[in-house]
Parts: sequence; structure tokens; C-alpha cells
Amino acid sequence: MNPVAQVILDGIFTGSTYALIAAGLALILGVVKVVNLSHGAFFSLGAYVAYVLSTKGVTHPAAAALFACVIAFAFGVFLGKSFINPLRSHPFSVAVGSLGFAILFEQAAQILWGPHPVSIGAGPPWAVVSGVVVRRWGAVSLLASVVVLLGLALLLSSRWGLPIKLVAEEEEVAGSVGMDVEKIRYLTFGFASAAAAVAGALLAPAVSIAPTMGRVPLILSLIVVVASGMENVGAIFLLAVGLGLLSNLSAYLVSPQWSYVSLLSVICLLLVLRPMGLSATPLGRDY
Amino acid sequence: MDGFQRKATGALALGAGLLLLLPLAGVDLFLLDVLTTGFLLACYVGSWDIVGGVAGQISLGHALFFGTSTYACALLTSLAGWPFAAAAASAILLSTVAAAVVGTVSARLKGPFIALLTLALGELVHEVMLGQTFFSPREGYSWGGEGGVPVTLPWKALSPWAAYYLGLLFLFLAALGMTRIARSKEGLIWTAIAGSELTARASGVDIARHKRRAFLAAGALAGAAGVGFAAYVGRATSADFSLELSFQAATFSAIGGRGTIVGPVLTALALHAVLQGAGFPPAARVLLYALALLLTLRFFPEGVAGTLRSRLRARRMVSEGADR
Amino acid sequence: MRIGVLAPLSGPFASGGSAFLQAVTLAAEDANAAGGVLGKRVELVVADTQGRVDIARSEALRLTSREKAFALIGAYLSEETIGVIEVAAASRSVLLVPVAATAEITDHVRREYDRYRYVFRIGYSIPQWAGMMAEFLARQGFTRYAFVGAGIRWNRELALELEKALAPRGITPVYEAFYSPRSPAFEPVAVAAMAKAPEVLVLGDPGGNSAEFMKRLREGGATFPVLSVGGTLGDARIAAALPLNAPLFVQAAAWKGASPAATRYVEKFEKRYGYAPVGYSDTLPFDAAMLLFQALRTAGRADSDAVVKALEAGAFPGIAGTYRFDASHQAVWGTSELPGYVIRWEADGARIVYPAP
Repeated sequence: MNPVAQVILDGIFTGSTYALIAAGLALILGVVKVVNLSHGAFFSLGAYVAYVLSTKGVTHPAAAALFACVIAFAFGVFLGKSFINPLRSHPFSVAVGSLGFAILFEQAAQILWGPHPVSIGAGPPWAVVSGVVVRRWGAVSLLASVVVLLGLALLLSSRWGLPIKLVAEEEEVAGSVGMDVEKIRYLTFGFASAAAAVAGALLAPAVSIAPTMGRVPLILSLIVVVASGMENVGAIFLLAVGLGLLSNLSAYLVSPQWSYVSLLSVICLLLVLRPMGLSATPLGRDY
Repeated sequence: MDGFQRKATGALALGAGLLLLLPLAGVDLFLLDVLTTGFLLACYVGSWDIVGGVAGQISLGHALFFGTSTYACALLTSLAGWPFAAAAASAILLSTVAAAVVGTVSARLKGPFIALLTLALGELVHEVMLGQTFFSPREGYSWGGEGGVPVTLPWKALSPWAAYYLGLLFLFLAALGMTRIARSKEGLIWTAIAGSELTARASGVDIARHKRRAFLAAGALAGAAGVGFAAYVGRATSADFSLELSFQAATFSAIGGRGTIVGPVLTALALHAVLQGAGFPPAARVLLYALALLLTLRFFPEGVAGTLRSRLRARRMVSEGADR
Repeated sequence: MRIGVLAPLSGPFASGGSAFLQAVTLAAEDANAAGGVLGKRVELVVADTQGRVDIARSEALRLTSREKAFALIGAYLSEETIGVIEVAAASRSVLLVPVAATAEITDHVRREYDRYRYVFRIGYSIPQWAGMMAEFLARQGFTRYAFVGAGIRWNRELALELEKALAPRGITPVYEAFYSPRSPAFEPVAVAAMAKAPEVLVLGDPGGNSAEFMKRLREGGATFPVLSVGGTLGDARIAAALPLNAPLFVQAAAWKGASPAATRYVEKFEKRYGYAPVGYSDTLPFDAAMLLFQALRTAGRADSDAVVKALEAGAFPGIAGTYRFDASHQAVWGTSELPGYVIRWEADGARIVYPAP
């Protein structure tokens, strides 16, 4: 066993989880241009979908991901259409309102599935390579985050992604060439929410599933998105993995008690020293 | 004073008058207690509105200033043995200093970066307080961590009536002071910065300095609310630093009308009184809170008082236009 | 006969709080089925403490002043309970504390008996908890242990007390770590603990994070036994999702099979609520309610001082054993009368391993 290699690999996995949740947030921030505090709730929703399916004997992760995707997309589109879009000119009210949705979801989850944490069997590790354990959820999370972020980057640079890009960057132009800007916005919100739920469904076996489980992942991925400059997909992934590594290495080398504190300290320093974000593209707008 | 401000002051005076007479209507000890903590919470929410509403610097770590004050009261009286008055003065000073630090480091940031920085700072201090055990003079157990630190008070038990009227007086003075600050020259500069930093800078405003001042004022007021809380509850716990408390300030302000002071203050008091005092079952209470938040924002995107203000101002513009 | 129940029923601690309320409800129904207490029906008035000292205090005030509760059972967290004991003392209401473990509670009784004499703690204190676990570890023949907990105060106190209790028996800690309570880094802790090759790992966190840590530990290939303080890992549904290739021991106040009363309680609880109790955040509140009803019957009248006298003098049977209180109103755990149990999860459920059946 090589403890340091193990800690580094686990750190990369932890970071890729932040990146996976951050991808959808970045899309919402870039296209709909609002801070969405209900993103963590969609992550929890995905995990609960996986749990409910597992109690019905369906344990394949693809099934859980598919169900979570459909349900969360429907919820996301509803939320985008009925709440986010009409209030878009009041970004603060949108952010606080989305928090209201998160609270609503947490309470609904407590009523539906009980306040007790629930759990799905994690299964054996994916592989053991020269004494280093490759955890199943970690491999899934790394693969999924790379796929999602690469997909996002490709989409935005391809012809298909042009409408989204146009809405993100030149919404007046998008409107004037006859695009349904509102529709693109709520569809984007739906897709991003579905991505969070798929992340939750895929990672469900690794965690304790509880109504309030989405709170801390939301904070960390929000920090990743904003601090990395919001649109740069590569920066999101690198910062997320960097923070995962920092968390695990500081826990291993210094003290596990203070791993979150050291993570937050570094983030504060980063925000103060690089006030425009890591990728340092000056922002042309106020959120 | 425009129409909205006159109405706002009127609402404040009416609220204070009602609350002065309320105990005569046969209120029990529980409702007195709910209202007393409501007064302190309302002052805390109002202090958020100074920086988050009037000055437009959204803070998601406002509990930092509140908790700094309650912990200062607790540690200085119970561990250092200071008299409560000295500890209270130091507590307000300390939370002001904390606000000055946050205001200084966030002065160069804007928009979501300030929200993120304050969020991260608040989380950081909360986590430290959860894990921190303070030296204890008693054997067998320690103070700190999730259980918090007791506040040593000069009185054995404060009469609930005295606490109620002191709290009411405190809130009335604080709310009056806050509306005054918002309407002062400094407050107008803050409003200008909130409107557009670029325009304010173009008219020669030293943005960093005024942002810092807004944080300073908000920190001092949140600190004062913290002192009141420490004195009334007699305990500082890590929950005083929690994200939930930070978010509560932002949500109550959003419902009440960000930047109107009176809106957030009265909303915080009214919602706290209804949610905690009406005896709802827990699930119903949480659902009601979330629905109130969603529906208010859906139909009053600027909050109740904010939307009212916009309408009054629009009407005045129309009537002024007609006069011409 | 109105009894107030204080527990966190919303937010992150709702899990323990709702089991708390379910158990007390069961005890009240039992009492009413048997004709009530002192000829009156028991009626519960419930308050949500929300995990906060100010709310707990305020709700305790509601129960005593508005709802006219005769006695209080609660609260759940130490910080909530600290707020409630002041109200109980001021209103001279009997307060039974089933779960909160901080020594500050009983210390108040010891220092200011006249004011705080209405407060009794049913659950184990941290030194008693450590003592019971130490006894179990010694009987199992372990000599080197690792301690992993959440980075909160009482977990640190538990680690300290356990070390103190084990030192005279020659059992030493080889590793000690506390993970962050909000955003824990489980994997490095699991890796570091494994590198120290302990014979057993003591897991001090009763919350949902403990299940996640167990998954990481077993996934990483750790095959040493784990002793949990109870809570989440006492939940059969959680245990069912964990690999049992190495022993998982869980500490509990009582368990099915410990006594006929315990078995009856577990069966009733399962039938009523559809899941098995975890033997801690439900069992202790149930016993608290049973003790209160018995003390009321012994006292013969609904008078706080008479009930305090009865509780101080008597020995009362609960499902965990027979409760007696010491001078600081702490129930005396770790005796043959009130031993505390350790169970071991097997494929077909849990088996009591301590005290030896």
C-alpha cells in the first residue's frame, strides 16, 4: 500500500465530484445569468431517485441516472419557466427564491422518505492497482465530470451550441434574429438541473442520503464556479481537482479536523488576490 | 422626505405603538419571549440591509459579525471575568473590527465575488468554532464547540417584561438610526454605489472607502444585536455563526424589500413572530416559510416594501409630469 | 396530565429528533392503554427545538407557561438542553434529559442543587459511555485501538475519557483523528488509520457521516473490527448496505433480546413505525417517559418536588435495565442493573455480544 498515492488519487476523485456539480451551475450562471441555490437540492433529488429504485430492486446506475435525469429536467424546466425567467431582472430575488426551493425540497424529502439517512450498498472497489485502491464512485465521478465538462466545451464551440452561446453573450442579438431566448433559458436550466441530479444518482452509493445532504456540495461547487471565472471549463475542472487534492492532502499531512478550514482559507485568499477569478477575463457585466 | 419615506416612518411608529401596548392585551410569557428575540433578530436583519441593501454589497456571511459579538460577550465575561458592560462594549468594537477587515478585503471585489468571499469567511469561522474547545475553569467538561460558551450576566433573572421593553426600545432606536444613516449623505453615496459603481466612481467617489464604511456600520449594528442576544439568551453557540443565520438575513431582507430598512426590519419581526409564535407543526412551519419566500418574490420581486416604494415613486413621477 | 417533549424535528438533526418523539409517543400510548397515570390520560405537547439554544429555551417556555406541561422530556443536543434547564429550574418543572451528554447539565445540579434539582439525566454521561466501551474492548482482548470521531467538542471529550479508561488496562491508542463535521475528508483518515494497523477502530460519530466513513474504510480494504458509539450505524437499513466481511459492533442502551421488556418495545416500535429502533435516540427517550410515569405513580400526586423525591429515592425499571440516580441526578450506567449493550451486525440482523448473553 502506498498511502500518499492513495490520498492523491482520492483527492482527485473528491475534486471531480465538485467539478461534476459545478458544471451545471456554470451553465446556469453563463446562460441564464443567475446564481442558483437550488442546485444542491437537485443533487439530493438524484440520490433519492437512486435510493428509491434500489429499494425496488433496480440497482443499475444507468437506470438511476436516466430516471433522475427525466424527473429533474421536468422540475428544472418548471422552475425555470415559472420562477427564474420572470424574475431574471432581479438576480438577488432569484438567488434567494432558489434557496426557497431548496428548503421546500428538503422538507418534502423529509416528509416523503423520512428524516433518517438512508444508504445504498457501495460494492467492491473498481480495481486495486499496485496497492492503490481505485474507488468505484471515484472512478465514476472522474469519468462523468470529464465527459460532462468536455461535452459542455464541445457544445459551446460547435454549431449546435451557437444559440446557447449567443444567448449567453449577446442576448439582444439572439432575440433580434428570432430565437426564443426565454425557451433557451428554461431549457438550459432544465438541462443543468438534470446534470446535478444525474451526479446525485451516480454518486448515491458512496454517500449517506439525507434531506440536507446537498448543502455543503452546493457551497463548494458554487465557490469553484465563481472563483474559476465562470465560463472557462478547463479552469473549473482544475480548480475543483485542486481543491479536492488540497482537502485530502491537508487532512492527511496536517489534520483532518482542519481540512475544510484550510480549503476555505485558500479560497478566501484566492478571491482576495485574484478579484476577477482565476482565468482573469475581465467581467463585462454585473451579476 | 418623499412619500415612501413618510409612510415608512409612519409604519415604524405605528408598529412601535402597537408593540408598546401589546403586553396590556394579556400576552403570555412565551409570546413575550418570541417578540423579544424577534426584536434582536430584526435589528440583525436591518444591519444586513445597510450593507446588502442600501450599499448593494450582498453578504452571505453576515452571521460572522453577530457571532463575533456573542462569543466576545461570552468569553470575556465567563473566561476573562470582565464585567458585562465592558464585555459588551468590546464585543461591539470587535464585530466592527471584523466588519472593517471584511470590508477592506472585499473592497476590490464586486457582485458574486463579495457574496462568495463572505460566504467562505462565514463558513470558515463557523467550522473553526465547531471544532474549537476553549479553556475551561471547571473540571469535568470544557466550553466551546457545538455546546458554546455561557455568558455571565450581572442579573440573576431579568424580568420578561423588562427584557421585552428594553428589546423594543433597542429595536426602535436601531431602526430609527438605520433609516437615518440610509438617508444621510453617506447613505446616498452607498445607494449610488449600489446603483452603479461605475457612475459613482466617475463622479469621483472613493468606492473602497465608502464600501468599507457600509460594512463598518452594518458590523457595529449586527454586533449590537449580538450583545442583546447574548444578554437575553445567556449563551453563545456555534449556531451564531451558521450559514443558516447568514442566509436568514438575506431572505428576510429579500421578502421585506432590500434597501428599504423598514421593510426588512418589520418583515423579520412579523415573520419570526408568526413562524415561531403561532405554534405551527414543524413541517408546516418550514413549508410556510419557503412558500412565503417564493410567493412574495414571485409577485413582489423587489420585496414588499421595495415594490411599494417603486410604485409610489412611479406615481409621483407621473403626477409631477402631469403638473408640468 | 400534559407532558412536554422537546426535540429537533426539522433541519439536519431531525433524524434523531423524530425517533425521539416516536418513542415517547409509544410510551404515552402504553401508559394510556394501561389506564393513564394517576387516573389521568397522558397528553403529549410537542416542541421543535431546531438545534438552537434560543429556540429550545423559547419552546420550553411555551410548554411550561402556555401549554401547562407538568414535566419536560428533552432536549436532544447539548446546546438545546442548556437552554431548557434554565426554564425547567425557573418554572420548577421536572426535566428528564434522555440523550444530551454534556457534563454541564449534571454539574448544574451538583453546584446549585436547590435551583436545578428538577433536572435528571437518563442517558449515559461521557465518562460512563467511555467506561462501558472500555469494558467491552478489554473483554474482547484488544490492545491497540484507533479512535475516529467528528470534530465536535463532545467527541473529543469521549476520546479523552476512553483513553483514560483504557490506560489502566494496558490498551493504548495508535491513532486518533477527528474529521471535519461539515465537509469531512474521509479517505485520508481511513488511509492513515489503516497504516497504523489497529486491532479495532472506535468510531465516535453517531451521525450520518459515520455510514459514509464506514464505506470508505471497508472499500479501502480495512479488515479490522469497528466499534461504533451507536446512532446511524445502529439502523438496520444502514447496516444492510455495508459489507460485513469484518465485524461491526454498535453500542446501544438496549436491544431486542436484552430483556422481555426490550423485545416487546422493539416489536411494538417496528410494527408502529415500520423500522427497527437504533437503541439510542429512541430507547433512552422511551425509558425517560416510563421513568416519569413510574415516579408520578410513586409520588402519588402531580407535584414536582414529590416526583423529584421519588426519582432520587427509587430504582425504576426501564427497557435498558433498572435506573438509579446519583447525587448529581445522573443515571448510574455501566452496572449489572443498567449495563449498556454492544451488538454485532450479522447477515440476518444483530446479535448482542456484550454483556455476554
